[in-house]
Amino acid sequence: MVKRIKNMFGLFLTISVSGFMSLLCAQSTPVAKVDTPAIEVKMIQAGEIALPAEFQVALYENLIQEFEKENAFSQVFRDGDRDAAKASDVFSLYATVTKFKQGSELERDVTTVGGSTLITVRCQFKAKDGAVLLERDIQGKVRLIGDNLKATNDFAKKAAQITPQSLSAEAASSVATVPEAYYSPGPGW
Amino acid sequence: MSFQTPPWRLTVILLFATSVTPRSIAQQTAVSTDAVQVIGMTGVKNNSKGRLEITEGTLSFKSAKNSATVSVGCIDDVVTGRDSERVLRGPVGTDSMLAPYGGGGALSLMRTKLETITIKYRDSKGGLHGAIFTMHPGEAEAAKQALLAQGARTSIPASIGSDSSARPQSEEKEQSW
Repeated sequence: MVKRIKNMFGLFLTISVSGFMSLLCAQSTPVAKVDTPAIEVKMIQAGEIALPAEFQVALYENLIQEFEKENAFSQVFRDGDRDAAKASDVFSLYATVTKFKQGSELERDVTTVGGSTLITVRCQFKAKDGAVLLERDIQGKVRLIGDNLKATNDFAKKAAQITPQSLSAEAASSVATVPEAYYSPGPGW
Repeated sequence: MSFQTPPWRLTVILLFATSVTPRSIAQQTAVSTDAVQVIGMTGVKNNSKGRLEITEGTLSFKSAKNSATVSVGCIDDVVTGRDSERVLRGPVGTDSMLAPYGGGGALSLMRTKLETITIKYRDSKGGLHGAIFTMHPGEAEAAKQALLAQGARTSIPASIGSDSSARPQSEEKEQSW
């Protein structure tokens, strides 16, 4: 009987210790997130391209939504957010449209080969001191199904794949490589 | 030759003007229309149908589940545009593209014209937001005028006719279909 009570006590102790440990781990997760930098997404610039306002806004809003969905950065700030200026570790994303071809949904549906919408955006990730960490041309397109604005979502999904880790890696490799390497789009972009 | 207007005529003109003007401004400034919020309103799901209302210095969008409100004074830019969409949309529209003998393409010819209104506004922290709404033809310009009358700003003050001239050729092509 005494042995049984001892076993029960041991089991209780094991469960309570493991519960305590898991609680400790759960509490430590947000602490680790503090080290993760935030990102401030600047409004998309059209440059010399005649970009309709709805595309400009859709690119910007989709970017913010995708970065928030990916959750790679501790916080996603909008252009002009005063909290971004106060934050210590913030990257800024400057995006400029370099190519834009607005297709036709009808043409896509009827021909299945023509009428695609293509947007190429030059994305510059900058550190708080203004140093360019990464520069890359990212393309958004809709070739068959969907309206023209779907190209903006395609672009945002690709851009949001860039994480703080990849930015740090690029920044580290930039010491060893030639700066022109930044201008060549990577595979899959 | 001198133009002398009798006092009674001036009085009638003044009375008419004061009785008509406030009503016409009130008619211009309040807008309530069915719209689709494509993206941008905080707390409202993308591509949700609802009611767009512009009254008493606020722009509000109410869908079946959520609603969002923006103060008109915070709106930095209002731009309208034109577009068209398939009559059959969503999963049904996608499935219809697989119809045999080119039936899917033929179904795509059934399109409805629509207008878009794009706004840019700032939140209380100064963060820039953008929102896009689509609505029936003729309603976007009325919404824009209502927003401007209530204090919103625009980068393109002209009406929709001249508005589209700044847009790419390809969009004009799509509109004509």
